[in-house]
Amino acid sequence: MVALRKGWSIMPRRYCWPLFPLLLLLLALVPAIQAQSHGRIVTPQGEFNSLTEALNLAESGDTIEVYGGVYDEPLLLDKSVNLVGYDWPVIDGGGRGTVVKLVAPDISLRGFVIRNSGDSLAEENSGIAVEAPGAVLESNRLEDTLFGIYLREAAGSTIRDNTITSKDLPVPRRGDPIRVWYSNDVLIEDNVVNKGRDVVLWYSERLTVRNNEVSEGRYGLHFMYCDDATIENNLLTNNSVGTFLMYSRRLHLFGNTIAHNRGPSGFGVGLKDMDDAIIENNLFLDNRIGAHLDNSPREVNSIGRFAGNVFAFNDVGVNLMPSVRHNQFVSNSFVDNEEQVGIDGGGGRSQDNVWTIDGQGNYWSDYVGYDGDADGLGDVPYKAERLFENLMDQNSSLRLFLYSPAEQAVDFAARAIPFVKPQPKMMDEVPLMEPVMPEDLPAVPEASQQPMWLISLGMLLLAVFILSLATIKRSKTKERGLRLLNRQMNSDLGSTISQ
Amino acid sequence: MDLENILTLTQKELRDARRNRWFILYTVAFAGLALALAWLALSGVGTYGLAGFGRTGASLINLVLLIVPLMGLTLGAMSLAGERERGTLLYLFTQPIAQIELLLGKFIGLALAMLLALLLGFGLSGLLIAWQGGATQAEDYLLMMLLAFILALVSLSLGFLISAAVGKSATAVGLALFLWLLLVFFGDLGLMGTAIVLRLDIDQLFTLALLNPLQLFKMAAILAIRSNLEVLGPAGTYAVRTYGSQLMVFLIAVLAVWALLPLAITHYLLGRRGVL
Repeated sequence: MVALRKGWSIMPRRYCWPLFPLLLLLLALVPAIQAQSHGRIVTPQGEFNSLTEALNLAESGDTIEVYGGVYDEPLLLDKSVNLVGYDWPVIDGGGRGTVVKLVAPDISLRGFVIRNSGDSLAEENSGIAVEAPGAVLESNRLEDTLFGIYLREAAGSTIRDNTITSKDLPVPRRGDPIRVWYSNDVLIEDNVVNKGRDVVLWYSERLTVRNNEVSEGRYGLHFMYCDDATIENNLLTNNSVGTFLMYSRRLHLFGNTIAHNRGPSGFGVGLKDMDDAIIENNLFLDNRIGAHLDNSPREVNSIGRFAGNVFAFNDVGVNLMPSVRHNQFVSNSFVDNEEQVGIDGGGGRSQDNVWTIDGQGNYWSDYVGYDGDADGLGDVPYKAERLFENLMDQNSSLRLFLYSPAEQAVDFAARAIPFVKPQPKMMDEVPLMEPVMPEDLPAVPEASQQPMWLISLGMLLLAVFILSLATIKRSKTKERGLRLLNRQMNSDLGSTISQ
Repeated sequence: MDLENILTLTQKELRDARRNRWFILYTVAFAGLALALAWLALSGVGTYGLAGFGRTGASLINLVLLIVPLMGLTLGAMSLAGERERGTLLYLFTQPIAQIELLLGKFIGLALAMLLALLLGFGLSGLLIAWQGGATQAEDYLLMMLLAFILALVSLSLGFLISAAVGKSATAVGLALFLWLLLVFFGDLGLMGTAIVLRLDIDQLFTLALLNPLQLFKMAAILAIRSNLEVLGPAGTYAVRTYGSQLMVFLIAVLAVWALLPLAITHYLLGRRGVL
């Protein structure tokens, strides 16, 4: 027992059971010993200090407890064991190859720091590579790995509560923090991913991706040929694209906060060849384009549905490629986007997309109509027919004149002289009068307001100082003429002038 | 050049500005509109915890583009021509001061007066933004105010040039208003039309836009808020790609040329023309 407490004994499972009552007692006395009695304990100082060795002696179903320290060994897990780390044991890949590889089904890996993989994109060097179904990867920290967690044909796996940071490389040379390949029914939740390339999911059905935070990467979440996925309550910020949904059916994207995704692509959500996607109750904030639709839906009898989303402060709220049709937009709130709805090439044919369903439309912050009967619905249709927007859709280089007073002058001219007014590119028959904010969204981190107070007060103080310059007497004037001048200006000159 | 003389004249100019009803009107209008814009930009969605990301900043850009050049051009145009008309310019030159001292004193004085107006406007709406929790970055806000001040110097300098070139102050103010219309509206509208009709390349369009100091300010201010110019479309992306991290320095340098060159010509004209 003493040996076990110090953590260097290997106890095969069959001897353990008779000792169980004793162990319970021991548990009460020594908190360091954990509940899994039928396992192995590995510590770096002890005699038993190699993970591979522990693994060789283990049987399927065993639990191996690993205590804090650094283990400089890439690991091949070929038995269905449970690995539990305490005090953040580190598995270091030494900068070569993949750090931990799981090739047996139903392995669980919890509480490890996995770091320092190789950096070969061709070999897809990863922190954790899973090549068998049913893996549970929970509460690990992946640092300095090229690919983070890579599931290949690992159906039914769970990736939960991991923190993943990629190698500090230029974006094209980074790997994907999470990649899922031909793995159905995978659950990805509560992970925090920073500075990777793409969290990308290929050829997998019925995925659930929720409560994750993905920031400063290329594509926050990227779905390729993934039918029936649920994407819920994620926070996707400062990526090139928040989430790109491609070639999939029946994706359900709801309750996500997608903000500050900028750059030449800079979409909050991009849809490419997507059928029957449902985009509900998301917040698209300060992206270059809130939602970009390209050839979606693809099939004649399918639709795309956008309901209850908020598009706020994007350069373009919703951008449609000219051929896009059969989308429904209802109860969304378009708040102060530079351009609420853009149609590339200025095709002006968004009539095949619906902006009003069952007598209810969307909220538009630039709506100038009124609500006479106070039912919360505008009495005149909302029309997007700004001349400058129309010109901009046709000739994107005119964006250079955004914010300049000439932009307003063009729109004013179009209002004053209806002859030059363009055809409305879209129309909402029954716009809402008030925006609708979805509830319980992941919060966007906000900057502190303290410096703003200080700087504003500083500005006002400086203003007072300048004002006081005009009143103070300047006594140091040496030359007599100037002193005279000075005095005269103080008194009579001003008043003689004003007369 | 005697610093003491310049300072005395600067103080005189500040006092004159405080008496000038135009200056007071501009200052009150700028501060009032800045406050109103900040309020409007924040009130809509501030209640939903979104706050106006750069939106307040964006509407301030618009306000600065309209009011600051108007202020600088008219105040500058009135300064030398007005004093000449009233005969006080002659009086000033009877004092032991050099022409450059007079010019600099007047310019610095009016520049300080305009800085005062900008500080009031930006300071008050800054307080409102902070109170409403608008997520404008404080450093970006400060940078934008400094850029507005540089634009003020540019327009003041152009106003001085008009003032030195024209005898009557009424003519000078008329010319200043015309130049304001040209810079604010007609220049951009003309360039817009040219871009559509002649299908200008992006680099040509960008280079032509640089000829307008207002566009320079606008680009620099957006760069300050957004830290890129992609909102301005292909031309903005072209600018960032071409000048990279030096873009801000480049824009400010061209603005500085716009501020110094007219002032130098003013000095030359004033010397040739004399006080009458």
